[in-house]
Amino acid sequence: MTAKLKSQGVGQRQTLTLSLFLLIQTVGMVFFVGDVISDFRENPASVHFVFEATVTAALILGILFGTVELRRMIELLQSQEQALEVARGALGDVIDRQFQNWGLTPAERDVGFLALKGLDVAEIAELRGAAQGTVRAQLTRIYSKAGVSGRAQFAAFFVEDLLGQGVA
Amino acid sequence: MASPQTRSHVTLWDPIVRITHWGSAGIVLTNALITKGGSVPHVYLGWGLMALLLLRLVWGGLGPRAARFSAFPPNPVAALRHLRDLVAGRVREYPSHNPAGALMVYAFWAMLALVVATGLVMTGGATPMQVARDKAAVESGDWSVLIKESDGESSGEDEEGFRDGAEEVHEVAANLLLFFAALHVGAVLLESRALRRSLVAPMLLGERRK
Repeated sequence: MTAKLKSQGVGQRQTLTLSLFLLIQTVGMVFFVGDVISDFRENPASVHFVFEATVTAALILGILFGTVELRRMIELLQSQEQALEVARGALGDVIDRQFQNWGLTPAERDVGFLALKGLDVAEIAELRGAAQGTVRAQLTRIYSKAGVSGRAQFAAFFVEDLLGQGVA
Repeated sequence: MASPQTRSHVTLWDPIVRITHWGSAGIVLTNALITKGGSVPHVYLGWGLMALLLLRLVWGGLGPRAARFSAFPPNPVAALRHLRDLVAGRVREYPSHNPAGALMVYAFWAMLALVVATGLVMTGGATPMQVARDKAAVESGDWSVLIKESDGESSGEDEEGFRDGAEEVHEVAANLLLFFAALHVGAVLLESRALRRSLVAPMLLGERRK
């Protein structure tokens, strides 16, 4: 979860940087084009005009390339996010089904989810407004129903599933 | 667990859309209310506005889906339907601008283009640097710039009349822009209330979460 937020933050910072860069280029381009046009009116044959016109043309090309690149970056970020959403939904389904197979009660399912998310007993107890002893007892029951030795194996159960199926 | 669904159709505006939106808004307000027409800062900002508009229009052709013109074609019938829905209080989410908002966007762009074009006519297409140079020259007592200028438009009164006309259009377009802006702000508030989410936050931060 945090890793995902971080990588997205980086992507978003990159698109913002590239956008600002494009903006500066465009502002520069507009002024250059204005200058080139007035130079053209004065003396179209001068070296100054030819040179400046070439530079401006290069700038315009750069802006177009930058635009396409930025669009590609934004679309890549969006598709990554979508893939993540799908994967998250799929994993949620897998967990739901497995919990049902194990015959967990609704309360145990909730606690199981929170435990998978990495919350410790105290946090789960606080979230659910229950005593820590209750949560500990629920976790023990979950582990025994799942036939795992403890929290590490419980979490590994689903990760192993993912790795086995080769879902990236 | 229910959040991904509500989240997925909240539009995420990309940085170019956001920068050009707030940049144009800022420049229009500043040039309409603060800077003096024809002054050097006014012309500088006008050229900046031209750059923003240009960038946004290029982005409308080459940008990602939500920013492209094809995502919000001008459709008055759909716009009316949307307004009727809004009055009835049952609006739906759109992947880009809603149909009424789309018309507003095109109206804005048309007015911005008009304001920029007439501004260029009024200054004879001079860059802000030239305007500043000419002004400095006149202030230092060198009136030759003015003579050269009036020499340049040797076609005389026609040109003069053309510039006066441009000035009229410039003012009308600027006032229309302010009127549109007020309309736009009102619509955003109404729509935000109908959709029960802030439409301003995504435009400010590009935020996707609720």
